[in-house]
Amino acid sequence: METAQLRQRLKEQIIEFLNLTSLTPDKIKDDQPLFGDGEGLGLDSIDSLELIVLLNREFGIVIKDPKEGRKVLVDVNTMVAYIEQHRTK
Amino acid sequence: MNRVFITGMGVISAIGNTVAENHRALIEGNCGITKSMNVPSRYAGVLPFGEILLPTEALKERLKTEDPAITRTTLLALHAFNEAVADAGLSAGQLQSPDTALVGATTVGGMCLMDEFFSDANKSSGGSVFLSSYDCASVNMYLQAHYKMKGVVNTINTACSSSSNAILFGARLIRNGLAKRAIVGGSDSLSKLTINGFNALHILSPEVCAPFDRDRQGLNLGEGAAFLVLEGEETLTETSSAGNTPTAGNKKIYATLSGYCNTNDAFHPSSLSGDGPYLSMKGALESARLQEGQIDFINAHGTGTENNDAVESSVMQRLFGTPPPFASTKSNVGHTLGAAGAVEAVYSILSLDHQEIYAGLNFQEPIPDTGLRPVQAYRKMPLEHVMSNSFGFGGNCTSLIFSKA
Amino acid sequence: MFYIRQAACISPQETFSETKIDLSQEYEPKDNKMKALEPSYPGIPQNILRRMAKAVRMGVGTALPLIRGAGAISGTPAADHSVSGTPVADHPVSGSSAAVDVGGPMPAGIIIGSANGGMEESVKFLKQIVEYKEEMLTPGNFVQSIPNAISSQISLLSQNKGYNTTHVHRGLAFEYAVIDAGMMLKEHPSESYLVGGVDEIATYHYNLEYLKGSYKKEPLSGKRLYEVDSPGSIAGEGAAMFLVDNNKAGASAKLQGIITLHSEDEAAVTGLLQEFLNRHRAATGERPDLFLTGENGDARIRHFYDACEATLDQALQNTTTDNLVAGNISPHSTSGNNIIVARYKHMSGEYPTATAFALWIACQALSGLTLPLHMIKRPGPAGQKGIKNVLIYNNYKGRQHSFMWVSAAE
Repeated sequence: METAQLRQRLKEQIIEFLNLTSLTPDKIKDDQPLFGDGEGLGLDSIDSLELIVLLNREFGIVIKDPKEGRKVLVDVNTMVAYIEQHRTK
Repeated sequence: MNRVFITGMGVISAIGNTVAENHRALIEGNCGITKSMNVPSRYAGVLPFGEILLPTEALKERLKTEDPAITRTTLLALHAFNEAVADAGLSAGQLQSPDTALVGATTVGGMCLMDEFFSDANKSSGGSVFLSSYDCASVNMYLQAHYKMKGVVNTINTACSSSSNAILFGARLIRNGLAKRAIVGGSDSLSKLTINGFNALHILSPEVCAPFDRDRQGLNLGEGAAFLVLEGEETLTETSSAGNTPTAGNKKIYATLSGYCNTNDAFHPSSLSGDGPYLSMKGALESARLQEGQIDFINAHGTGTENNDAVESSVMQRLFGTPPPFASTKSNVGHTLGAAGAVEAVYSILSLDHQEIYAGLNFQEPIPDTGLRPVQAYRKMPLEHVMSNSFGFGGNCTSLIFSKA
Repeated sequence: MFYIRQAACISPQETFSETKIDLSQEYEPKDNKMKALEPSYPGIPQNILRRMAKAVRMGVGTALPLIRGAGAISGTPAADHSVSGTPVADHPVSGSSAAVDVGGPMPAGIIIGSANGGMEESVKFLKQIVEYKEEMLTPGNFVQSIPNAISSQISLLSQNKGYNTTHVHRGLAFEYAVIDAGMMLKEHPSESYLVGGVDEIATYHYNLEYLKGSYKKEPLSGKRLYEVDSPGSIAGEGAAMFLVDNNKAGASAKLQGIITLHSEDEAAVTGLLQEFLNRHRAATGERPDLFLTGENGDARIRHFYDACEATLDQALQNTTTDNLVAGNISPHSTSGNNIIVARYKHMSGEYPTATAFALWIACQALSGLTLPLHMIKRPGPAGQKGIKNVLIYNNYKGRQHSFMWVSAAE
């Protein structure tokens, strides 16, 4: 899958997985912080655990330590880069 | 206002099936947490649990019950309830009196039977004997029917602080004249639901938990049940020659519940900021009309998670300056969820009754930010007032203070 | 006991004052389920709403208009505290909980009754356990599955750090929340409390109840609920919240008393009713004008309602003359067998905390709302003019009984 496609697909998956019903993929910027209000998407620590599960179910990536996960889950760009490097599915 | 006394106790946990067994185990510093193979989960033998080594069938035999719909959670409750009521010398007539309340707590209820639940929930006809056994109320509904209780019978679920809230609700029923005595406590058994829920939150420790230790890795789930019998001062009619302490004939008076407070941390669904625990401890002191310096020992919530132990230590320092001796008994029996508040109340009262404190197990190095060390060895100690804390999901924080009667 | 200052209700009828109250519409069950009419919840931030279970949405949605948060922090930049880690920034509000400023005095506590709250989320989590064989599960459902998610979300959104508890004792869960609030107001007389009852129809729970025979076997119109002589009722759901305190001024109603009983013995129930009646009539000199019952179409337990109606008629008739002679009779009293009898379960459906809906209806009636004809089982001689005292009776599965006496706040 090309990076642009992966980016789009990932945004759709984030929206679906976290039930972000008020968002569409075009409203999520690639470098928009996932966590924190203000400029960010306003996700919280429970969402970070859910995204770790998403990475596992969709891409076969295992992140055991949630703190390590937070380094990956900065924005869509960092997630895409990590997926491309570590995916097994 | 009518003082509330504890006149009976019952407990079953990973370190013993009776108050006496639990007491001995606490003195000896026994840990009942193991990687048992009996737990109903793929994590049996993988993660440590505070399991009660009596299988469900053995519990049924001991309790002489042939009710096919009874669940493990209810059996544990019945076990502890029976011990408490016998300890307090309550008669069948007193149990059935409209003046006797039962306030119990559970988070699992009959959901320890996950496979049966799923099977039933997908049927279009028929159904197992457990249809009415799955909800939290099923435990106390069983006790109410079994003992034909006519007073207030209630169930509370506020996650980890549930049975502490049951204790304080029962005390308030007595103080408000809605009951003369209240049997209060809680029960929880190990279940796939809670094991996987806590695992999904990444707060289960792969090893035996180490409350307040710098390198702690999380909590261990446990199962257990405990009940206290609370009786109002006005009900206990005799007074001793000293004048101030009711003794009511042969009935033993363990302690008084001298203070309590429940608050909400209002911060996050599953972690603490500190305001809730601070306010509950402070509020309990105010309700007991005590100063911080008068608390001789704290039975801490101390689950062994990064968040709880850091926040709890920091709050103890904030409130007490130098906190009194403290320890968590969750490294003996695990976190028994809905039963935790009541189990730890029994342990706090044992401390008071025997004028001793028990070691907090598995501690090596303090948390750097606070440098606090829990009690690390059993010792005899004069105790007047003991605080017991329970902090639950949803920010629910409860502090109880037990005092020498 | 206490005064009811404000009330809010989300139910299968048009009862939510933020949208419209119109009880005449009589919405019908679908497949014997009365699903609640939910508003869009403009007061709940989307970021938080997306995660909420239905019971939590309804509970929060009815609570927020009533309570007002001193110290609410709307729009504060969020900092996140990892579930298993230590604080990363010194803000009290996590990313998912931008508190809502709803403006006014803060109650000292939030007391909820809910028997099934969180059940649907439990089941979603259990399904994950089965599907993924206990590996890599998302925690959101589990966190929402605990019944105290309702009271804790209300607390979180309003930054209410006071007393907070959840009673879950099936058909008396709401009653114990009420009793709890009553005790709190005796202990802290200058405070106010939010008290409510919430339950949702959870799919798997409905199936269990269906297997137990709790619901009618064939689809039924609400209009025929009380006519069909068969076991079972129809499922319902909803949330009703009340802001309560000890202040008469500006209150909409007064809860005079409440009593509960676990029994399957009809005589024990009618005996309790007699005792409750005597107690309140002795204390207030008043008699009930409206008997609001939780009759639910289940033929197996109708006898409790029939017996209570008969007991009430008898009690009121027997003492009418005595009271006239003694000069005790209240100017608002109706004579013996003309007490209005009304029913509500065709509107709410049957669920453990449906008495919260009944209390909300009573508050409406006491505030002058004329109850629609479809609720009236037996009319009074003067229509519904001057209803000052409402007696509510409910039983859940013929085993858990409660009586509440609600009067005008005069």
